[in-house]
Amino acid sequence: MVRILNFFCVALMGLSILALYHVSEKTRVAHMQLSQVKLEIAREHGAIGVLETEWQHVASPERIQQLAQSRLGMADDASAQLSSFDQLPRRGADQAPLNNTPVHNASVQVPATPAASDPGM
Amino acid sequence: MCVAAFALVGIRLVDVTLLKSLDTGRAPAQTLARADLTDRNGELLARDLPVNDLYARPATFWDKRQAAHDLAQATGAEEQRLLAAFDNAKHPYVLVARQITPDTQAKVMHLGLPGLEFQPGGKRYYPDGRIAAQVVGMTDPDNNGISGLELGLEKQIRAAAGGKVVTSVDMRVQYILQHEVETARQTFSARAAGGIVMDVNTGEVLAMVSLPDFDPNQRHESDGDSSRNIVAQDVYELGSVFKIFTFSLALEDRTLKSLDEVFQIGQVFHLGKFPIHEAEHMPATLPARDVLAQSSNIGSLQIALRSGPVRQHAFLANLGLLKPVKTELPETARPLYPGADWGQIQTATIGFGQGISVAPLSFVAAAASVVNGGRRITPTFLKQSATDLRGEQVIKQDTSLQMRDLLRYVVTNGSGKRADVPGYDVGGKTGSAQVPGPHGRYIPHALRTSFCGVFPVHDPRYLVFILLDQPHGTKQTAGFALAGWTAAPAVGRVIQRIAPLLGVPNMAPPTKLASGGT
Repeated sequence: MVRILNFFCVALMGLSILALYHVSEKTRVAHMQLSQVKLEIAREHGAIGVLETEWQHVASPERIQQLAQSRLGMADDASAQLSSFDQLPRRGADQAPLNNTPVHNASVQVPATPAASDPGM
Repeated sequence: MCVAAFALVGIRLVDVTLLKSLDTGRAPAQTLARADLTDRNGELLARDLPVNDLYARPATFWDKRQAAHDLAQATGAEEQRLLAAFDNAKHPYVLVARQITPDTQAKVMHLGLPGLEFQPGGKRYYPDGRIAAQVVGMTDPDNNGISGLELGLEKQIRAAAGGKVVTSVDMRVQYILQHEVETARQTFSARAAGGIVMDVNTGEVLAMVSLPDFDPNQRHESDGDSSRNIVAQDVYELGSVFKIFTFSLALEDRTLKSLDEVFQIGQVFHLGKFPIHEAEHMPATLPARDVLAQSSNIGSLQIALRSGPVRQHAFLANLGLLKPVKTELPETARPLYPGADWGQIQTATIGFGQGISVAPLSFVAAAASVVNGGRRITPTFLKQSATDLRGEQVIKQDTSLQMRDLLRYVVTNGSGKRADVPGYDVGGKTGSAQVPGPHGRYIPHALRTSFCGVFPVHDPRYLVFILLDQPHGTKQTAGFALAGWTAAPAVGRVIQRIAPLLGVPNMAPPTKLASGGT
């Protein structure tokens, strides 16, 4: 009886060793693959970082302005053409903008050449 | 015996399954030591890019002279230095080149030399180059911050390695400010120029420009470049923009009871034995509001003298103008002002902005406190989540309201007309200061002009300040180089361009354009 029990235990132990070895090997391989993937992720992150930096460089405001001016004929003084919805004339109202409201535009009122009384201190 | 064998196997099982670490893989090398610096909208200002340092083991080379020649050709290193190092038996490893790019690395690999090792590292790169050079600063070859926010935020940048540190800078505003300051500097042939855009309720600096500047991606300065941040590191007698504080003090203490009070101006004011001259165009009398609008020195000094030296000193100290301003920027400057001899003459000259020198950044913080309801703000270069970070009350709210009206009056009726932008309700003050020479005397005809603009002035959100050092008049300005012709228009253009970006509503009715559109 004891021999059978011993044989059974030894067999169980052998199977356990084999199973454990198998699991251990699979885990080791999986870890190696994981490390490889982590390394690749790190490389990809680095590449993304470089691409983002390059994008930032090509999409810089300076470059966009140059392109907008040279290719699209755009100019800086667009804010004069911006207004709020509140200022839009109502449907059916006088189509003339402002309804003859005086325009407060100091840059229009300022003379193009300096007067002696206006040195701009 | 049998039991001992089973126990041994059991212990080993526990050891293998539970105790032994299975993490035998090599972790990827951590090469990025500094966090990204970004602007308030997440745009990159600075980032570490992975690069390699190249080392060689000369003992493995068959022909050291040829190896030195080939490596010098591939990396740009100095051949003689490499050869000397390769021949020196004391050094088993020789640094060939630092921070080599992938292209260079490929060239080196193509040489097929043995004994080469690539040490991963990081190189700081600034995508926008010069645009925010002085405020962002730069790092040394070992990636340590040496100037600007790179140095001032060193701890945060190191602590957040792999992440990002968000600054208060808005690159759109920064570019516009840089562009307009550079244009004004070239137009008026100024020696140097600077500018600041600040949120008056939070103290966040949205943009800061100092010209001449430099390219932080180059490790050396080219001719004409400068890494000096003149708006944070230098102090100036700012001239008439300082009258903002003279009037604030007078209104605060009610030494000026009415803005309609009339002052005798004349051409010369004798303060003891010192004559103080007025601009030729100034009328004989001016009401108080026009003393500021026309920027009369004699009118301003009379108002300042009513407060006296002790009160003037205390008021300027309370606004933070008599000590260096502390921000995340390491660059700062100690103001220059009279010491024990701060008497009547000093009070008078400080009343019109001479005799006291402060850093433009310090001035901007004090001016923001005057217009934001009278509460102290501390300039910051880090993005803030709160929309109102105003601190203790330094002047009464009523005084602040009156000053807003006065600053608007300067733009509609005074020397600041060219800073106005339809719909954005700009208020501000010009300043044209004399420039002291090397021997303490003022340089004849040399001016330092500035304009401090606030918009929208009746509910202030942003302050724009531009300084031009020794500008020259042009045909378009009929030879005038005063602030109203040089700095004020530049501030107006900056406001015109940044206001829509910052979501400040344009309150002007739509104008009819020449083309017929609205």
